[in-house]
Amino acid sequence: MQDSERALVPLGSAGLPPVPGGRIDMPRLLAAAMFGLAVEAQRRSLNAAGAVAGRLGWPLRVLARPAVAVARGSVAVAGHHLNLDGWAALGLAEQRRAQAVAVKAARTLIAALVAAVLDEIDLDQVVGRVDLDRIVARVDLNQIAARVDLDAIVERVDLDAVAARIDVDAIARRIDVDAVVGRVDVDAVVARIDVPGLTEQVIDEVDLGEIIRESSSTMASETVDALRVQGMRVDGLVSRIVDRILLRDGQRQTDPLHGQPQR
Amino acid sequence: MTRVIRYAEARALQGHRAGFASRVVADLVDLGVAWLLGLSVLAAAGVASYLLTGPPFQLPVLPNWLDATAGAAIAVAYLALTWAATGRSVGKQLAGLRVVDRAGRRLALWRSFIRAVLYVLFPAGLLWVLASRRNASVQDLVVGTAVVYDWAYHPAEEPVAADDGHLPRPARSTKHA
Repeated sequence: MQDSERALVPLGSAGLPPVPGGRIDMPRLLAAAMFGLAVEAQRRSLNAAGAVAGRLGWPLRVLARPAVAVARGSVAVAGHHLNLDGWAALGLAEQRRAQAVAVKAARTLIAALVAAVLDEIDLDQVVGRVDLDRIVARVDLNQIAARVDLDAIVERVDLDAVAARIDVDAIARRIDVDAVVGRVDVDAVVARIDVPGLTEQVIDEVDLGEIIRESSSTMASETVDALRVQGMRVDGLVSRIVDRILLRDGQRQTDPLHGQPQR
Repeated sequence: MTRVIRYAEARALQGHRAGFASRVVADLVDLGVAWLLGLSVLAAAGVASYLLTGPPFQLPVLPNWLDATAGAAIAVAYLALTWAATGRSVGKQLAGLRVVDRAGRRLALWRSFIRAVLYVLFPAGLLWVLASRRNASVQDLVVGTAVVYDWAYHPAEEPVAADDGHLPRPARSTKHA
């Protein structure tokens, strides 16, 4: 027993349980005194031995080494002859049994204590005394959210696997399309669309007549122009041939007509 | 509205008197148009007869003199009206020609009517275009008209003018006989 532990455990008559009637229980007093005497004697002898060992430390250790060696040898020999292992096993078993008993007793005690404590506590009252609002007010959700690494979480989610587990067909089968369509008021939708306005807008943007005029007139005029220019060339050719036959030396007078006398 | 003429030689000859080939082409087309007009008149008469007298449907058969007279009348009416209106019948529109008077303006109705009658009675007068130094047919000489190249649209009273800025053959068009 250490000094500190002894300080926690009061010794002497103060520690003895009071006896009814004020009389002293003599046998219990004597047993306790003997136990205290033994403890005190052990303590003092240990102190004395420590003091001697402190003063004669190293010569004693030097002298003791051979003796210890011899003693160890003899202990080994004795152990060999005296079946010390068997005794040690017996001691260990006894030790474990004592431990088990102690643990069992401790558990029983703890269970009894907890039950008693719980009996004493009115949980409703405890809960009633907890101000959840204050607790919640002290929780900084933003800070918590900031500490959550969403990317990492999302990375760990296997969306393909999730999608593979979804039976779209089954979901689609459960949707009553007719009911959905039936709830849509098509007339109202159409009524909200300004069809004439839209049509006018489109027609305003697209000048269909101009497009048709452009394309058709371009095509037609290209063909007609080719025909006309061929006519012009043949006109010139015919004129030159006739002029040569008629032995004319000059060119024909085909100028524009303004003020020209007709011949 | 005047459109761009792609061919430089054609631009240069705008307003010049047209030659024989173009005019023959135009007149052949007009002949076809007149024939179609006569045919459609006949068909209309046939339809009217069918509606009034019942089947069978058939084109009326005219005596030759009436056939010729009616055909000539249709042709004269067609040519005179179109020349007086725009100066161009369907054939002349196709060939890019326009009939104008001496001043280059649209024909008066009487002038175009006389010209049409002369053409119907004496188509061979067109051959004079070959010989004329001014590409004039007999009818042109009699009535005082000319047929010019005119591919673009003009207001009726505006004289036809040549685009003298682009003359590919200046000697041909500027030298006076």
